[in-house]
Amino acid sequence: MKSLPLLVVCSILVPGAFSQHEHHRMSPTSVDSVVWRMPPMEMSMPMLPGLEDAFPPTPPSLPLSKGEIPYATPGKIIHLADGDTLSLSATTLRRRIADQEVIMYGYNGQYPGPLLNVRQGATITVMFQNALPEPTTVHWHGLRLENQFDGTPGMTQPPIASTERFVYELRFPDSGLYWYHPHLREDLQQDLGLYGNMLVTADSDASLSLVNHEEILLLDDILIDENGLIPYGKDAPTHALMGRFGNVMLTNGVTDYTFGIDQGSVVRFYLTNVANARSFNVSFGGLPIKVLASDLSRYEQQAWAKSLVISPAERYIIDVLFPEPGPVVITNTIQAIDHFRGEFYPHIDTLAVALVRDAVVSEDHRQSFAQLQTNAEVASDLDLFREHFDRPVDKSLTLSLRVQNLPLPIMLSMEIDTLYVPPVEWNDAMPMMNWLSTGTQVEWILRETESGLENMDIQWAFHVGDVVKVRIFNDPHSFHPMQHPIHFHGQRFLVLELDGVPNQHLVWKDTATVPVGSTVDFLVDMSNPGTWMAHCHIAEHLQSGMMLGFSVKDRDSSR
Amino acid sequence: MIHLPFFILLLLVNPMGSDTCPEDYYSIDLVPTRRVPEARQAEGVAKLTFIPSPFGVALDSNGRYIYAITLQVDRLGPVDGHKYTAWLSTPDLKHTVRLGALSGDGQVAGTVSWNKFLVILTLEPAGAASGRWTGPVVMRGLSRSGFMHTMAGHGPFQQEPCMVYGYD
Repeated sequence: MKSLPLLVVCSILVPGAFSQHEHHRMSPTSVDSVVWRMPPMEMSMPMLPGLEDAFPPTPPSLPLSKGEIPYATPGKIIHLADGDTLSLSATTLRRRIADQEVIMYGYNGQYPGPLLNVRQGATITVMFQNALPEPTTVHWHGLRLENQFDGTPGMTQPPIASTERFVYELRFPDSGLYWYHPHLREDLQQDLGLYGNMLVTADSDASLSLVNHEEILLLDDILIDENGLIPYGKDAPTHALMGRFGNVMLTNGVTDYTFGIDQGSVVRFYLTNVANARSFNVSFGGLPIKVLASDLSRYEQQAWAKSLVISPAERYIIDVLFPEPGPVVITNTIQAIDHFRGEFYPHIDTLAVALVRDAVVSEDHRQSFAQLQTNAEVASDLDLFREHFDRPVDKSLTLSLRVQNLPLPIMLSMEIDTLYVPPVEWNDAMPMMNWLSTGTQVEWILRETESGLENMDIQWAFHVGDVVKVRIFNDPHSFHPMQHPIHFHGQRFLVLELDGVPNQHLVWKDTATVPVGSTVDFLVDMSNPGTWMAHCHIAEHLQSGMMLGFSVKDRDSSR
Repeated sequence: MIHLPFFILLLLVNPMGSDTCPEDYYSIDLVPTRRVPEARQAEGVAKLTFIPSPFGVALDSNGRYIYAITLQVDRLGPVDGHKYTAWLSTPDLKHTVRLGALSGDGQVAGTVSWNKFLVILTLEPAGAASGRWTGPVVMRGLSRSGFMHTMAGHGPFQQEPCMVYGYD
């Protein structure tokens, strides 16, 4: 019986008194003048006994203020026509966040990176230069582009070394909202500000109801204290268990994003979750949300919602009517968990504020806003796939993890915590333990059920035109279960079922979350040839191994 | 010193010998009270799935999960003039809703969006309609979230009485 030794160890460990987190001794180890500081956490959270002197077992790392580093500027919109060329560079820059001046990264000196506005069907060239002090790549998230430009290091291209260049050619077969970000040390580079949107417009957009105003909202968070950014792991990511949750919310790169609209405005929001780990529950002051589209398409049938749940890397396009004057606070409203007390507690973050003026909007779109549309174009596209909805499962995965060499207090307390694991972790409920876990101690696992193969040992082979049902089960009895937003590169998929319940809200996706304990059926349209990756889009989980490979070959060639 | 609640907890944590399917992680086992002779052999479970949502996971605007809950209870003997009726309640019993009377095949369904909740099956006089049960409790169960362990006053790191943290 394994409980008895655990019991004995636990009994030995019980010390005299809880230490609060400020009693972490934080004795700094200087590496390139960057020192570890414990992340801020709620004052009521006690320090776990035995961890007062603990640091992540990797040197700390932050971009350093060497030489002249310019201040970043707000992101701009770049309209690109078919055949255009864009110069894009990743650089070190200076920003002010939460009254702290911090050194971060950015594309073209902007936060967020420039919004690329292109037409469906266009092809553009991106001349990319890496002006970072470390290698990087650019992944064009969600695009069904040519494989060699996918930005997956070690799979489609080598890392782009510091000062080196790479030319990407991007094609945009699908309208919708996409984003670009690094695919190397995402936990660090993306978190430091390397992200931007791509908005692909189409003639069919004219069938959408008219709106008075449009807003792009990139949702992010960042981990910061009175001394600036909390360092990252130099050789491996910290926060490998839950991902790096920030304590300061950023919308479009700032903490106080506001916009003005007239009373009666219908606003179309384009939301992207670019956070490393945090899922958001976005509310618009209780106003109804009309859900139009997600990653790669519009919904077959528009729907109403009271709040919008968005996982890392997902995108949604929604309309909201602002009928009354006055400020409307856009919030992340969650039930956070305090494991120490074993309780849920309500938690609200302000993400943005809509300042609704007294002036009444000149064009009234309220009537069309009130109508939900069926999208015939999407429905007819889906008709081609409905015969596959009931097909047998082709591939089956279980999500799990292995840990080694974690501090004993973490091992003990986590085994107890797993009496209940929520379907989705909305907050960093264990900041001390999470911070101390690194990618060298935690291995997140995609395990193929049939073969037992794990992560990159899995190399599925398909052909263009294959329609593949992938069943993914998130094992709730693993050491630390957590939700996983699963992203398929280069393809599109439908979420067919969640826990055996058919999905009534069909839309083409590239990223969808598998909650703890859930089984999700994906129907993947293998339409794009090449060698691709599927992975969890919690940056630290990806960096801790949670990825697999698959190839899609043309039927009439060896490509 | 060995803390008895912690010892019990460890036995619960240890999955050895458990035949619980992982898919049933959030299911709620209903345990008979043995107060009603016709229901002493009863077996039941409440299954939870998310209600349909464009986002997969269904939340209300306060961030609480919205579940479709379906009870399946077997081996209940009939009691003349009475109906087995299901209820949902917050753990402190401050808020209670009537889920409904079990169908002939022992089922009843509804939705729930509390963080922690109880599922209660009672034996009610036929025709009784009330905001709260009046008959004996036949079975009861606790949402998985109710098992969330508090370290504030229990377990291996127990240092101070729960009262210090406002819990008892």
